[in-house]
Amino acid sequence: MATKVNRATAVGETSASRLSPELLLGLYRMMVKCRMCDEKARILFRQGKYAGNFYSNVGQEAGEVGAAYSLRDDDWVAPSHRDWTSNIIKRAPLKYCFAQLYGKADSPDRGKSTPAHMGYPELHVITPASTIAAQLMIGTGVAWGLRRQGKDSVVVSFCGDGATSIGWFHEALNFAGVHQLPMIYVVQNNLWAESVPLRLQTALKNLSDRAKGHGIAGVSVDGNDILDVYEAATAAIARARNGEGPTVLECKTYRWYGHSEIDPAKYRMKEEVEEWKRKDPIPRFEKYLAEHKLLDDEQKKQVRDEITREIDEAVEFAEKSPYPAPEEALEHVWA
Amino acid sequence: MAPVTMVEAIREALDEEMQRDPTVVLIGEDIGVYGGAFKATEGLLAKYGWERVIDTPISETGLIGAAIGMSYQGLRPVAEMQFIDFIACGFNQMVNFAAKSHYRWGGPVPLVVRGPCGGGVHGGPFHSQNPEMWFVHAPGLKVIYPSTAYDAKGLLKSAIRDNNPVVCLEHKFLYRRVKEELPSEEYTVPLGKLAVRRPGRDLTIATYGAMALNSLEAAEELAKEGIEAEVLDLRTLMPLDRQGIIDSVRKTNKLLVVHEDVRSGGIAGEIAATVNEQAFEDLDGPILRVTSLDTPVPFAPPLEERFLPQVADITRAARELARY
Repeated sequence: MATKVNRATAVGETSASRLSPELLLGLYRMMVKCRMCDEKARILFRQGKYAGNFYSNVGQEAGEVGAAYSLRDDDWVAPSHRDWTSNIIKRAPLKYCFAQLYGKADSPDRGKSTPAHMGYPELHVITPASTIAAQLMIGTGVAWGLRRQGKDSVVVSFCGDGATSIGWFHEALNFAGVHQLPMIYVVQNNLWAESVPLRLQTALKNLSDRAKGHGIAGVSVDGNDILDVYEAATAAIARARNGEGPTVLECKTYRWYGHSEIDPAKYRMKEEVEEWKRKDPIPRFEKYLAEHKLLDDEQKKQVRDEITREIDEAVEFAEKSPYPAPEEALEHVWA
Repeated sequence: MAPVTMVEAIREALDEEMQRDPTVVLIGEDIGVYGGAFKATEGLLAKYGWERVIDTPISETGLIGAAIGMSYQGLRPVAEMQFIDFIACGFNQMVNFAAKSHYRWGGPVPLVVRGPCGGGVHGGPFHSQNPEMWFVHAPGLKVIYPSTAYDAKGLLKSAIRDNNPVVCLEHKFLYRRVKEELPSEEYTVPLGKLAVRRPGRDLTIATYGAMALNSLEAAEELAKEGIEAEVLDLRTLMPLDRQGIIDSVRKTNKLLVVHEDVRSGGIAGEIAATVNEQAFEDLDGPILRVTSLDTPVPFAPPLEERFLPQVADITRAARELARY
């Protein structure tokens, strides 16, 4: 049945002692990479470099990276529109990720879907649709297929707090509960469903309590504490691999920017945004790593310099990549 | 061979495909021990086990979504809607995920969603609909709608083997009313090919589903008056056999489209536009249509009879057209 872990003050101390320096620095580097790619994507959109829209994940990197970082190649991810970085965490080459933003011929979908609707078949990342929470049921079906084949692969899906109100969120949890499927439903509770605050979405305090109604495990963690997320996620993944069923993992976090790049988010109090920016998961983890003598200022700079170079190359690649030929609009309707 | 009903032919198709291909799985509500509301899956649980005949919660969007996910795992799910009307609950998964998956992601969805449709059994507004055009209008989905036991089996087998999502509409009025002997050897019916049910020289009646039976009955009557109607059973609505229709119109020079779907936005409009574009010079009269009314399907028997196209409606329209 549903269990709850709420360790807002513990900062992952229990797990950290078991984690290797390589893993800790890997988590750190990936969070910084997701942040920098996302911020770059926002800038490029504002510069008019690509059309459509972009749904920033900035502020939510600990949940994103903590939940998906340790996945194996044969594991699947079912992201939402806000989880473009899932592809990066699943080790998609950055050049293709940026080509996706630009809708270029070198994007994985050759310009067929919008910038944030990115999936990567070879890496088992499902392309999300705009209809909220629909990807959860697709992921659940994948989990059923994996289990039937006797594989011990798992599926991690992502959605926001808003998605937990829609019926098919519950249909997914219910189905996964009945069949004890290897699913981890990560709920990035950033307190806002576009412009609607959590108190107008649900009477629940913890969204992991949604799991109780379906007889499956539910865990709420500090979504801005990478180690807290990582510990809960790896436990849920291990349970899923062992055939012990699905988990709802609520990461309490915050969306720094608007719902999309065309939303100035004036419905939020400035103080609330500032308070959450002080809980930024990246400096918080840097402090932890510095205290454990795993990271100094020079290393921090080195990480950022390396990622900057990687992003610059990726953007250059995306800009040089041609648009798909207009005739390609007619292709791939049918398999 | 003893004659089989349409629903038995559907069961044979499912059974044979499950036998032939271990990746074929069935998913739906009450399809297991109960064998489905119309018994299309009767006996298959006992034969193939619960991992291949999956009874689900009442959860249409859930089960269609799960089936799409299963298809990403190399399975070929056949999902049953207890009544095709209920596919409305799974509409999002059909039109936003299944239809667009290959286009957006290169991920084929070899999925069949099948279920009973159509009126004439006093099922009322939620157990009688013909929602084919909801899906014809969503590029990426194929739509089949058989009128014979032979086609029901052959089309369904082709649909299961197709790598695209296919909506299979099975007219519940025909489930046990049409009966025929089927070949003992393996066969399939290709998607996208119409069948000429009755050749004729004076006018073409393009139709499908239960209206194929009404149209054939009408053609019999018309023949007594010396009007020879060619009856086309479309069988597949997407992809539509446009060439087959054009070929017939070039011969008869007149076209009547008959469908049980409501009038506005029905496939008759699409067929009329196609013939105007491609065979206008061959037409000797206006393209006419006989369809259901633009209303929900009413329950009370006299209301439903008024709603549905009757044989007399078809003969009346055909006579009018024959006069040109």
